[in-house]
Amino acid sequence: MGNNYELHRLGLRDARQGLLRRDFSASELVESLLARIAVTEPKIGACLRVLGDEARETAKALDASGPDASKGLWGIPITIKDVYNVKGAPTTAGSKILSNYLPSYEATVVRRLREAGAIILAKTNLDEFAMGSSTEFSAYGPTRNPRALDRVPGGSSGGAAAGIVAMQAPGAFGTDTGGSIRQPAALCGCAGLKPTYGRVSRYGIIAYGSSLDQAGPLARTVGDLGPLLQAVAGRDGRDSTASARGADDYINIVAKDPKGLTLALPKELWEGSFDTGVRATLDKALSRLKDQGARLEYVGMPMLRYSVAVYYVIAAAEASTNLARYDGVRYGVRAQGYRDLLGMYRQSRTEGLGREVRRRILLGTFALSSGYYDAYYKKAAQVRRLIQEDYLRVLEKADFILAPVSSIPAWPFGSFTEDPLTQYQLDIMTLPLNLAGGPGLSLPAGMGPDGLPVGLQLMGPPFAERPLLEAGLALEGIFPKLPEAAL
Amino acid sequence: MPVDLKTAKAIAALARLELAPGVPEGEAQDALGKLVGEFGKIVGYMDILGELDTSEVEPLYSPMLEPETPREDVPAKGDARLSDADDILGIAPELSGRFFVVPRVV
Repeated sequence: MGNNYELHRLGLRDARQGLLRRDFSASELVESLLARIAVTEPKIGACLRVLGDEARETAKALDASGPDASKGLWGIPITIKDVYNVKGAPTTAGSKILSNYLPSYEATVVRRLREAGAIILAKTNLDEFAMGSSTEFSAYGPTRNPRALDRVPGGSSGGAAAGIVAMQAPGAFGTDTGGSIRQPAALCGCAGLKPTYGRVSRYGIIAYGSSLDQAGPLARTVGDLGPLLQAVAGRDGRDSTASARGADDYINIVAKDPKGLTLALPKELWEGSFDTGVRATLDKALSRLKDQGARLEYVGMPMLRYSVAVYYVIAAAEASTNLARYDGVRYGVRAQGYRDLLGMYRQSRTEGLGREVRRRILLGTFALSSGYYDAYYKKAAQVRRLIQEDYLRVLEKADFILAPVSSIPAWPFGSFTEDPLTQYQLDIMTLPLNLAGGPGLSLPAGMGPDGLPVGLQLMGPPFAERPLLEAGLALEGIFPKLPEAAL
Repeated sequence: MPVDLKTAKAIAALARLELAPGVPEGEAQDALGKLVGEFGKIVGYMDILGELDTSEVEPLYSPMLEPETPREDVPAKGDARLSDADDILGIAPELSGRFFVVPRVV
């Protein structure tokens, strides 16, 4: 590669090959990406902090010892959503209350990425505490969609997806509690994987909904997700919910033959109201799949009707518990001018937490409080079981579930900020998967007539990440390739 | 279920949050009314769960299909969790020596 100014355009696996062949050094790759960040960042605001000095130092040390093919991500720069603890850098979770929080330990995902030879390049923007689907609820300002700067990138991992599409890095890690990896990937036009609950350790990741949160990768192509998942998947003694099952091979994967692939399409998700451009793009993608011999079968999943209500009760309940720790005592921001201990708690939390986060804490506190617990929290947990049963039942007869990721394309800023319930209802495509616990892969299905990307998602049985990626490769080969974002 | 102002205030007290922060005294009643209305709308939507008879359904609190896998309880050398106490104290809002300081409670 003669022109180092173009190294930022390389996908993850191409960059790896170039590094191992010594076509360029890790330092040259880092410099190219930092230059790209400097050019694109004023437009999109994907990063909360660029770790330039640290990345340069790590690259220099890697270059000094030379390429190591045994390390799956040797010399690969990666961005990290600002809910993962990275030692030496603040973790804000997009919140004012953690504006001064410097973690004293590192997330397992980050530690494993470093062990695999990766370089941590930047910490990316998000909706405060990952609560939102537009990255408008970050205390540090919004991220803009690289395909249309007047529109949201989706969320909550909006900075991760926008940065990937803007070619600030070849790989990123986000988290997905109700669609926070898959939906921004779809709205920006890249690939994103939510692994099975328990496939990746949550240790060192700021908790939102502990029975829903899962860490996962984003990249510009499906195949580039494999090495990222490979580096982090597996048991972790520091998270008892991280499964003891060994990881599969996610790198040496082969596209499945679309002939004979049986895909279940939940009527409840396909028959709702859609933006016409999104609908037309999805219909085109479906007919391409049929032309290639895939079997598409519409199925009923009647419990999906209840999934938004179930999700917002459970996620809010878990959030109200997890966020009780932000009280201004041991770390984070403490308000001034309080009169007593309760006043200090109340003032610190009210000043430090944003409106949407406070709304969800109130909702969760309500659902868990004496007198309402059975009618809301327990009831939602019971219906959650029915949703999981629906999901597993459909996958007994089909290879994967195929669904849209969003019924509308990336929307203009401010569209739903005064109407939270409507925004919650938009999440119906993505959040059932978190309730059921399975893995899901979001990939571009094409570009809508308005020039905004449209996504599709495949969902599989628990721990079927490898076949999911192989099916994703097949779909990626069938759907039109998106152009680079014009930035 | 409609939510009234009294319930909303009780929930906010439990959550250690102010209901209508930054709202001037004269406008507080309006702001609270709006907030309670909006909250009631969200809670009202959750009431569709009441359509289902779940009396025979065991609640699902975690989606895991397998039991959790605790590790052996053995100390590990160089464990990053045993981070330097100074790091932890160094980010506290207020300290006295090596103690966290909070407003007097007794």
